[in-house]
Amino acid sequence: HAADHNWRFANLYGRGTAFGEVYEDLAKNIETMSDGRIKVQVLYSGEGVGTSGILGAVKTGLVTMGAPFQSMHAGELPAGVVEIGLPGGTDDAGDLLTLFHERGWDEVLTKAYGSQGLVWLDPYIQPPVYIITKKPINSVEDFKGLKIRAPGAYGKFLRNLGASPVSLAWSEIYTSLSTGVIDGSIGSNMIDHRDGNHVEVAKYMYRLPLAGAQVLPIIVNNKAWNKLTPDLKAIVKAATTVHAQEQLVKSRKWESEAVAEMEAKGLQWSPEPSAADKEAWAAAGAGLWDEYAAADPYSKELIEILRAEK
Amino acid sequence: MIGIELLTGILLACILITFALGAPVGLALGGIAMGVGYMTWGDGLFNVIPTTLEDTHFSFILLAIPLYIYMGQLLTRSGIGDAMFNASQLIIGKVRGSLAISVIVVCSMIGAMVGIIGAGIMTSGSIALRPMLERGYDKRLALGVIMAGGGLGILIPPSIPMIMFASATQNSVGRMFIGALVPAAISIVCLIAYVVITCKLNPKKAPLDPPPEVEPTVKEKLLTARDGGLALLLIVAVLGSIIMGIATPTESGAIGVVGAILLAIFFKRFKVRMVKNAGMQAAMLVSVAMWIIFGATVFSNFHLLMGVQNMVASFTQDLGLPPMMVIIMFQIIMLLLGFIIDEFIIVLMCAPIFTPIAVSLGFDPIWFGVLMILNIEIAVQTPPYGFALFYLKGIAPPGITMLDIYRSVTPFVLIKLMVLIIVMFNPDLVTWLPNLVMN
Amino acid sequence: MLQSAIRRYCLAVHALVALIGKSVSLVMPALAFVVAFEVFSRYFLNKPTIWAYDLSLFMFGYIAALGGAYAQQRRAHINVDILYNKVPPRVRSVFNILSFILAIFFMAIVLQMSIGKFEEAIEFNYRRQSEWAPHMHHYWIMMAVASVLLILQLSSDVLEEAVHLVTGKHIIDRSEYEEETVE
Ligand code: NA
Ligand code: NA
Repeated sequence: HAADHNWRFANLYGRGTAFGEVYEDLAKNIETMSDGRIKVQVLYSGEGVGTSGILGAVKTGLVTMGAPFQSMHAGELPAGVVEIGLPGGTDDAGDLLTLFHERGWDEVLTKAYGSQGLVWLDPYIQPPVYIITKKPINSVEDFKGLKIRAPGAYGKFLRNLGASPVSLAWSEIYTSLSTGVIDGSIGSNMIDHRDGNHVEVAKYMYRLPLAGAQVLPIIVNNKAWNKLTPDLKAIVKAATTVHAQEQLVKSRKWESEAVAEMEAKGLQWSPEPSAADKEAWAAAGAGLWDEYAAADPYSKELIEILRAEK
Repeated sequence: MIGIELLTGILLACILITFALGAPVGLALGGIAMGVGYMTWGDGLFNVIPTTLEDTHFSFILLAIPLYIYMGQLLTRSGIGDAMFNASQLIIGKVRGSLAISVIVVCSMIGAMVGIIGAGIMTSGSIALRPMLERGYDKRLALGVIMAGGGLGILIPPSIPMIMFASATQNSVGRMFIGALVPAAISIVCLIAYVVITCKLNPKKAPLDPPPEVEPTVKEKLLTARDGGLALLLIVAVLGSIIMGIATPTESGAIGVVGAILLAIFFKRFKVRMVKNAGMQAAMLVSVAMWIIFGATVFSNFHLLMGVQNMVASFTQDLGLPPMMVIIMFQIIMLLLGFIIDEFIIVLMCAPIFTPIAVSLGFDPIWFGVLMILNIEIAVQTPPYGFALFYLKGIAPPGITMLDIYRSVTPFVLIKLMVLIIVMFNPDLVTWLPNLVMN
Repeated sequence: MLQSAIRRYCLAVHALVALIGKSVSLVMPALAFVVAFEVFSRYFLNKPTIWAYDLSLFMFGYIAALGGAYAQQRRAHINVDILYNKVPPRVRSVFNILSFILAIFFMAIVLQMSIGKFEEAIEFNYRRQSEWAPHMHHYWIMMAVASVLLILQLSSDVLEEAVHLVTGKHIIDRSEYEEETVE
């Protein structure tokens, strides 16, 4: 029989990719757990909504549910950039869960997304952001003057370390690394570096991650959400919790696979950073907190909670 | 809710009707999507417009289109483009069809700068179409050469669709770039061979320059050679800026603009009016190209949101054919998709669906990717719907009709189809060079 | 009487659209300069700018969108003219009226969505996602203006074709346009 609710669920991974399958599982789970009352069509990268359009598309109801990457939406929902993890943030999954569920980040974010007609569902954790460079980074000093493709908050962080952040389209990273337009690039995670073939044209990965872990939400259009009966709402929420668990387990596995594959292709790690390097790294990140808190009221609330924790 | 097969049929019918009416293609595609969408989905679909606008106007990759078109307009209006062809005539002018051959060579060089079809065809068209038409070349030959040569932009590295293929299927971009070189060379040789043969069989197609009334002096010849050499140097400089890591392929168009202005000053042909007129013509061409891209993307986004990709995926799941037949089937599906979908979407949609099947049948993924690029080159220039056709119509002088363009493509589509088939049955042509260089 | 009113309307629209179409083409050299400056600043000064990326994209969007009405005025938008070129002039006018009404329908939706996005951009202070983070509101105003211009031009063209259909005469002399494009 026909479903009561026909949903479209957009994510930014390609069809058939490992991450794409996790979102496919979420869609299937919602269908099975709701006994077919909610039908979910998964839309992959390029299938009707561009990567920077997911937030807007869920907001208007063009797609019902989305897995956005908040850095793409820094100009629309600045608190999302704090949510994903400012440079220098923790990578401990336990700490992050406490922050979100016990210290009140969930309430702030529900408000922030709610103000734009979005329902904020259980966030999930994806692996950290790393920088790949053409030359080894022996100390933090080596970042001085390097041209590194790093958008938004990551760019600001690298500027604090003396590097020159460059803006480039994703599909030009490979060519630009290969010809030397840039000296390095961040990738949204190790898997992204592998998929972009960056190791063919840049060999060195820096050991300190730019952001320890990335926290990403699942969002639903408010109107579509309100059409659900309470039991269906509970079912969708339960399915996103299962999804968060799957992301945590699988993304770690894939991350290590991606690293192994890149190592087989000649990836090398820059030497272990010194204590002074680590300090400079943390300082470069901490300098951003004030700036982000001043830019947006919800970001301010999130950062105040972070500060209170320390 | 109607099924996706029926919807696809309705959309195709609407395209054919509006094409018959002679409607502006981009605006009509947008109008069809909104009209059919309103009836099947409701006004919620209208929200596809803002996200599509942001995707098309804020695409740094598409920024190559204005920059390269402007460079092309400056080159042709300052006479620098002509200087290049005049010099080449000095060398091979006695060969019938020589200008078309020079154009193919120039198109290949432009192909080595740009990574998308639009920039390739519109730049080549700006520089090379008028010189051929002015010398009395058959217009179908002239148009076909521009389309076939300009389309090489995605086959000769750098190529955006190849980068997209490699990342969607987790393959090496480097292998793909190198793997495409031999098929690209075969394409260029076949195109040149076609020009030579067809001009031999039908000399009217490419008249030889009438002998000059006064034989040019050695000094005049040297000047022509110098001017042509300098013009060629500009192309080399733009290429060099990419290879040396000064600029990305997109940005290099701006280097070309600056270089063209400097050369015009050097040739004492610089006029503010020339820069302004080139800007005006370029702006119009950019706008025309972008309204088509926008309307077509609105159309295909609607079609994708309705699930056309699932139709393709389920159709290809259990074909139950012998391996090579599966590959041929894939090529036919992509050629058919080329009726209604643009180059990037074909890659994004088909690469992840088809490639795992091809690999599981024992085929090389890089070879399959190069086949896909060769196929897209054909798909974008087969009537009635093809971006290469639209771009060429945009750049062509007012007297050229779409029928001229449709008719001009036949021999060139056949040549590209031949290359596709040669590569399909000789995978070594793709795999040999990357294995040699990269292992 | 009615015919001269239509003619005046069409001429006014043509003048406005031509003025904006020609003005926006001045952005073209500026766009090339901005991109070339970024290359210079990054390669020779080792100081990539934070603004060139977004600025060049905004300029691109302005040229692309605002030139649309002018291209329509010059009938430069690409069409498939196979059957179109074979039918008698009055049938061609019918074809044009149908096509242009479809285009007006599309542009009316683009206009409506652009105004909606503009209001949203003001309410939520939308910006680009980059470090420079320029405002988005002006882009949506520009899109609304581009849509209005295209609708005006298309409406003028529909009237022009309607007059031709009824009287068999052209109220606008298009021969000068063609000379201009050839130059
Ligand atoms: Na190319
Ligand atoms: Na086609």
